[in-house]
Amino acid sequence: MVKLDYEHRQAGHCESGVTSNLLNYYHFQISEPMVFGIGAGLFFSHLPFLKMQHAPTTSFRVWPGMVFNRSTRALGITTSNHRFRNPKDAMNRLNEVLDQGIPVGLQVGTFNLPFFPPEYRMHYNMHNMVVYGYDKETYFVSDTLMEPVVEISYEDLARVRFAKGPFAPQGKMYYPVSIPAQVDLKPAIIKGIRKTASNMIGVPFPLIGVKGIRYLSAKMRQWEKKHGPDTASYYLGQVLRMEEEVGTAGAGFRYIYGAFLNESADILNQSWLREISLEMGENANKWREFSYLGSRNCKKRGKPEQSYDFLADMLLDVADREEKVFSKLAKIK
Amino acid sequence: MKESIDKSEHPDDVPGYCYNRELFYGFDKERGFTRELSYQNQSNQVIIRQSWDALEKRLEQLQEVVISGKVSPIVYYMEKMLMELPMLSAYMGLNRLRVRWHMTPAGFRRLKPSMLERYARLFEITVEELKKPGFMNK
Repeated sequence: MVKLDYEHRQAGHCESGVTSNLLNYYHFQISEPMVFGIGAGLFFSHLPFLKMQHAPTTSFRVWPGMVFNRSTRALGITTSNHRFRNPKDAMNRLNEVLDQGIPVGLQVGTFNLPFFPPEYRMHYNMHNMVVYGYDKETYFVSDTLMEPVVEISYEDLARVRFAKGPFAPQGKMYYPVSIPAQVDLKPAIIKGIRKTASNMIGVPFPLIGVKGIRYLSAKMRQWEKKHGPDTASYYLGQVLRMEEEVGTAGAGFRYIYGAFLNESADILNQSWLREISLEMGENANKWREFSYLGSRNCKKRGKPEQSYDFLADMLLDVADREEKVFSKLAKIK
Repeated sequence: MKESIDKSEHPDDVPGYCYNRELFYGFDKERGFTRELSYQNQSNQVIIRQSWDALEKRLEQLQEVVISGKVSPIVYYMEKMLMELPMLSAYMGLNRLRVRWHMTPAGFRRLKPSMLERYARLFEITVEELKKPGFMNK
């Protein structure tokens, strides 16, 4: 049996939480927001032509894996990343690494995770969790969504590591290999902020970043006329599920990003960042208000309570706020 | 810590998920950025519930289509498992054209027992349920 002395901590965002917790195992303290910010995780895109469960895809974060890779690279931490062709090799390698006393991060699909809340049972393949031991055919898991630590069988673990569909994990496993004795957060923070600012206001493509929020706003106004009230409500619900439900720590990662900016203000000793963090906090509250009011259009009974024009106007407001914030952040030195 | 959600409201408002608290970040001017363990709030419960209600509605419509003999039960169970053709093909290890053929009544009738078993196992049902879904007995 292997059962490492790994500290299980819940997190708002699985990938950032796993990164923070894995580094914590090696006594390198870094908060979840700091990982997320340095990893330049914040994003926005709305892709009406790419449907998931019959509704357009809206994303509030970057490609899965980027937060771990970018943040560790920016901090000078070397890591090991593997994908496998078949479950047997993937599970053998997992055991080998655990035997060496190394807890392992895994990308998995959530559909067949036995401990996952059934309300969340969808083919979401971008989930991250840590395995910190095993006893014959039972594995010990720290899943940042769950309050307690949990267990999973060999068979179930192999299955979720090889879930199919978009962003299929292909047995992906990853862990830190070496951490420098001295790590300077300052350049990593600045680089991360610049990258996010560039993603949000520097991409000349209408479906991405702040432009993407305005694009969604324009689309939202047409949903009822174009697709009817039921589909409009479902499309809106899908945006809100992406914003609030799939582990964004609330308001599409905007709270977590604000917390990162707040922390960065101290580390960089740049007080203007604190002002920006407050603006981001207010912005997050506006996103939250949008989801709260929007949810009133997603109830089973009764007519929609908010006009889509009203909700679309709220999106224009957050787009303006984010444009202001990221224009200032882009200039960080 | 927030208490678990009040269940005294209308059934449509009753939350379906309140047995695992999650970590949420928040912000207000007085306290700044906060972290709190709580159950999913009411409005999130509503939007979670919506996707399951929408699935139920799609399945009801699909039942009629299967009963009418236009498609095979595979179409129904594929939807029930929230899959689409590319994902189903990947899980079955078959090419899409072949799965599309199985989705037709003619193709489905010709399926060998071993293939029916594979589909049934993926759909988490018995072969009997696959061949004749419960809703066809109505």
